[in-house]
Amino acid sequence: MSGRRVGEAELHAYVDGELTASDRAELEAAIATRPEDLHLAREISDLNQRLVDHYAHLLVEPLPPRLGLLAQRLIRRSRRRWRWQPGAVAAAVLLALVAAAAGYMARGLQAPPEPAFLASALSAHRVFVPEVRHPVEVGAAEETHLVQWLTRRVGAEVRAPDLADQGWKLIGGRLLADRGQAAAQFMYQDGGGRRLTLYLSKEPGLGDAAFRFAERGDFGAFYWVDRSLAYALAGRLDRNELMQLATSVYAQLGAPVSGRG
Amino acid sequence: MTSRREAVAAEIPRLRRYARALLGDSSEADDLIQDTLERALARLDQWREGDNPRKWLFSILHNLYVDALRRTSRRPPHVGLDNLGVEHSAPAADGVSDLDRALTLLSDEQREVVLLVGLEGLSYAETAEVLAIPIGTVMSRLARGRDRLRTLLDYGRDADAERASLRRVR
Repeated sequence: MSGRRVGEAELHAYVDGELTASDRAELEAAIATRPEDLHLAREISDLNQRLVDHYAHLLVEPLPPRLGLLAQRLIRRSRRRWRWQPGAVAAAVLLALVAAAAGYMARGLQAPPEPAFLASALSAHRVFVPEVRHPVEVGAAEETHLVQWLTRRVGAEVRAPDLADQGWKLIGGRLLADRGQAAAQFMYQDGGGRRLTLYLSKEPGLGDAAFRFAERGDFGAFYWVDRSLAYALAGRLDRNELMQLATSVYAQLGAPVSGRG
Repeated sequence: MTSRREAVAAEIPRLRRYARALLGDSSEADDLIQDTLERALARLDQWREGDNPRKWLFSILHNLYVDALRRTSRRPPHVGLDNLGVEHSAPAADGVSDLDRALTLLSDEQREVVLLVGLEGLSYAETAEVLAIPIGTVMSRLARGRDRLRTLLDYGRDADAERASLRRVR
């Protein structure tokens, strides 16, 4: 065995991604024939992963009320300046955590009244999701037409967010008759056949409202109001999964539409 | 100013994860985060927009943590190496996991480095900056801290056996 000696510190640096590409390649060649070094490197890497896994829930669980309030104060001030950028996603995730904290606080007190649009969104979800032959009025193949049509009828810029990264495919959408006006519903489906609906309606009378969660039997919905548009994302999903999706929708639709601003 | 506030707010979950791992207690960790955020807000103009807010916030957190350690004599129980086996074999009946327990048995300095690098993914240079120590010190604390953690978590066992058998073969 002629390989050069490898120090323990070097193994740590290797696992932690501190080596340059050439040092890395050299070290990999050197330890390839040394099971004990390989083993140690694997253990260090395993230890890192174990730490990340063990504390992962802290990145998604609701903030406790006092931190939620502090975060809300921080965000409120700058809310209007958001752009579609990575920072906005982080802030949106945080807003979701804050909203969850707010819900957490409200539990012991009294639940805030649910807005009327939520009932509309939930009933439209319940009616159209089980539909086998006609789940949507216009299919995703005609997405451009669908979006233009709904935008015109709803009277506000309506878009179908892209949830492909999370495994959800747009299957299409429909116009809803809702409390005497037009509202829109987009429907998505995942590989397992589960369905998700996104409801949108124009609500000039409502101020911006952070995420809230509602549960009806076996399905749940996150709903919010942003610049006079009400949104509700509903599905038979685990609350965390639904929150991640709502966060993504919020981040995508909160962005200014090109050409508008 | 507003986007600085936004950037600070966006770091809260990560700060909280780190503080929890560092202190092993959720209410103490949240106290530390609250103090960190308040201090950060008071000194917002010290942080240049465009700079990484994470590093800056972790430094503030570190300084407050060190102050708190100095003020209170609340330190994790120090267990000699000889006692480790006994300590470790106690079942985690109180819901505290082996990993939480093992972390409390590291020195404060080792724990910080192990978590900043392993959990938070900071580079050695960033870790050195956050803790205001030389990179060499980061590396030695890291190696010692991880060694100890591996022992506490019974990692070393297979590797040692393997090494012994290799030696015999040679």
